[in-house]
Amino acid sequence: MPKTDPTPDSRTDSRTDSKKDSTKASTEWQKHWKARRGRFIEECRQAHERLLADLKCPTTAQDRVLADIIGVSAASLHWKEHNYDVLASDKASFRKVLPIMRYDDFAEVIERETRTKGGTLTCSPVLRWLKTSGTTGTPKRVPYTLHWLLTYRIPAMMAMWGTYLEHHPELLAHPYATLDTQTVREDVSDFVHGVEHQAVSNRHPQINTRDWNPPWYEAPWFGPATPTSHEGRMYHRIRHLLGRNLHYISSINPSTLISLRDLIEAHGKSLVRDLREGTVDGEPWGEPDPAAADHLAAVLEKPGFSLKDVWPSLTLYSCWLSASAGLYQSKLDAVFPGVAKLPFMSCGTEGVTTIPVDDTPHSQPLAISQAFFEFVPAEVPLGELVERGEPVETLLFDEVEAGRDYHLIMSQGNGLYRLWTGDIYHVDRIEGGTGGVPWIHFVRRDGVFHSFTGEKITEAQVTQAIEQGVAEQGLDMGLYMCGPKWGEPPHYVALVESHGSDKGVDAELSGRIDEALKTINIEYASKRDSGRLRPIEVVTVPHDAINAYVEGRRAAGNATQYKYKPFQQDIDFVADIVGD
Amino acid sequence: MLELKRPPQNTRKEITYVRRDGADLALHLWRPKNLKGAIFYFHGLQSHAGWLWEVGPQYADNDIAFFVLDRRGSGISDGERHDLPDAETILADYAAALATVRRIIGEDTPLQLFGHCLGGSFLAALMHHPEFDVPYDSAVFCSSWLGKLHATLSEEQRAALAADDGTELWDAGLKSADFTDNVKYQHYIDHDDLAVRALTRRSRATLLELEKLYLQPRRELPDVPVSYVSGLTDPIVDLDDAHKTFIEMTNGRGGIIKLPTHQHYLYYTDVRTSLVTWSSTYALIPGLDHHG
Repeated sequence: MPKTDPTPDSRTDSRTDSKKDSTKASTEWQKHWKARRGRFIEECRQAHERLLADLKCPTTAQDRVLADIIGVSAASLHWKEHNYDVLASDKASFRKVLPIMRYDDFAEVIERETRTKGGTLTCSPVLRWLKTSGTTGTPKRVPYTLHWLLTYRIPAMMAMWGTYLEHHPELLAHPYATLDTQTVREDVSDFVHGVEHQAVSNRHPQINTRDWNPPWYEAPWFGPATPTSHEGRMYHRIRHLLGRNLHYISSINPSTLISLRDLIEAHGKSLVRDLREGTVDGEPWGEPDPAAADHLAAVLEKPGFSLKDVWPSLTLYSCWLSASAGLYQSKLDAVFPGVAKLPFMSCGTEGVTTIPVDDTPHSQPLAISQAFFEFVPAEVPLGELVERGEPVETLLFDEVEAGRDYHLIMSQGNGLYRLWTGDIYHVDRIEGGTGGVPWIHFVRRDGVFHSFTGEKITEAQVTQAIEQGVAEQGLDMGLYMCGPKWGEPPHYVALVESHGSDKGVDAELSGRIDEALKTINIEYASKRDSGRLRPIEVVTVPHDAINAYVEGRRAAGNATQYKYKPFQQDIDFVADIVGD
Repeated sequence: MLELKRPPQNTRKEITYVRRDGADLALHLWRPKNLKGAIFYFHGLQSHAGWLWEVGPQYADNDIAFFVLDRRGSGISDGERHDLPDAETILADYAAALATVRRIIGEDTPLQLFGHCLGGSFLAALMHHPEFDVPYDSAVFCSSWLGKLHATLSEEQRAALAADDGTELWDAGLKSADFTDNVKYQHYIDHDDLAVRALTRRSRATLLELEKLYLQPRRELPDVPVSYVSGLTDPIVDLDDAHKTFIEMTNGRGGIIKLPTHQHYLYYTDVRTSLVTWSSTYALIPGLDHHG
């Protein structure tokens, strides 16, 4: 973090030169911003309109996507070796001939593709390998092909930003209007047979002129010169935007936004000093800004200050808002009082599932032009069937029903066909009735459950039970964490953040949540009634206790990809948060 | 011929197999959206098509179909690793691949033959082979020590080499630092498990045989543009000697171009885009129809 200031004498000359350099750099990125702004707005608008048009003709869009996937895959070695090029030509034959795949099922063909860099899995050059955590501890290698970049991934980003810009044009009012933490630019040091292996959120280096290129691409807080540590990068972002009319902060994870506010508090003195002296991390940058320094110093005096206090100009923030991310809502409300919010798309490294087209916070339309989608009712034990190689009937987008949960299977233009993502989505509604586009939201990961004795408790069930119990008790809640504790008999332990945390309420709250869980999960009720499980033990903890724990465990790198997981497979967190 | 303003092209990468005497040889193609010219690349001893993942799309984006045959025993092709078959088999493999290329691109598309390092010797031998009849429109020799064995071995040594049918391996002594000073590419070269870094002793007799085909030519070369391109110096190639052979082979009508690097593998240096741009143009211009 901020270095000790050099002595005044020793820094005078270099400071002057550095100041010139920083002024020049400052001018250059703003030139880029101004030159790029109009075209970026137009590209986003067009992508947004194309998405809306596809949503109006979803069957046509899905037909086009499938034809495209077959077109880019059919001549590949993998397809020819399996005769898919001959046998798969439409929705029916595609689903009949190609098996449902897990990522690991692609491991062998991906290994071959790492050497040929195109032509093995699809007929598009592999430009990059996307890194994400795998099930076995070995990072996945998701092919980032030219075709996928041009036809799917960048248009998805553009469409989402088209939505944002439509609702909040002020986010491009001036070069300092937006702080984008969704994507980063980091030098890459990991390669697979010469090809970069990096997180999807790392948009560096730019592959071609159609690659992601927002107006702030050259901004000093966005470029590869910023520190790569979470705190270091955040410090630079904050420092460069303090004292500016910031309107919008974009993020993927809500925890990033909470962390942003906490880091301002933690490093307030350094930030005030940097502003007052015209430095960043003690190094010369721009002109001193005493007014901004005074403002921040005053804000820091206010207990529980919000980001709106820091930037009164804030009008918008965005991040994931559904599923476990939704548990952050009360914190976000405190950090962004009176600030509008928009959701981030549902997506993973493997592809985009939904894209927001309006300001609906908790549901988005299936991204009908991003992949060929299939669904299987969530109650079907898909993992077991796929493991046994048994055929599985799938539903198309126009066959799902509102109110039900489904496994998602998607075929992407990068060659990962019929990929069982492991994600379960809830269908909220069908736009325009039968044949329309389902509006869905991510519910949970399949298999994220625990079973002492066959009760198969899922994260969604625990969330629902805790929310219900807390509401009945008249408490508020923030994050929670729950895990299994072995014993004779075993039971579950949950820590729940609440402003009303008090040992005196824990017993009653535990009882309420236990009852709710019995109602939600009849197997849990059966095991409880038969004495095979003890009741769930709920402990309320102060409002930020879990958040602080989560932030403390945040990995040093790749923070953008970090995900808070409420449901744990053990109770190690309990001792860390409340002691023994 | 030229579009001066357009977005990046959605180009393809395809692999087809050329079936040859029980061996499947992988022919890699970076296919442009609008095919206006083609380059057939002869890789060197060590490399294979997988080395060209960056320049392939660059050529295709220039409307050039970029073909690379993984030579028998190289890359993902069948064939014994580290052991070259006889010269006739190698050249027949290339001729068959080039016949396939002509079928793909048609008769009217200008085709450039591009040989890198040892690939240049394969190319020169093929061009001079009496039975090679696939039409081409330009040729480029890149960082290639043409006639190296003849230049560096005495007559007695060459006779001994020609008679050597040993199968023990001869280490080519290739160092990635000679190819590029970029650590990313050095790491790739050092860890490429498809790379061939040694040859059987009898394979060197094949190389000698190939050299004879162009040092003692039995046919005239067609009147098409031919150039030699390299860095300013080359840590592996005696450029003066290579130039001398090139000039003699082309009867003094070829071009010699030097790009500002001192590394061997130009595609893994800062001159990559210059080389792609120049060779793309060099491939396209012979396709101009002056009767149009």
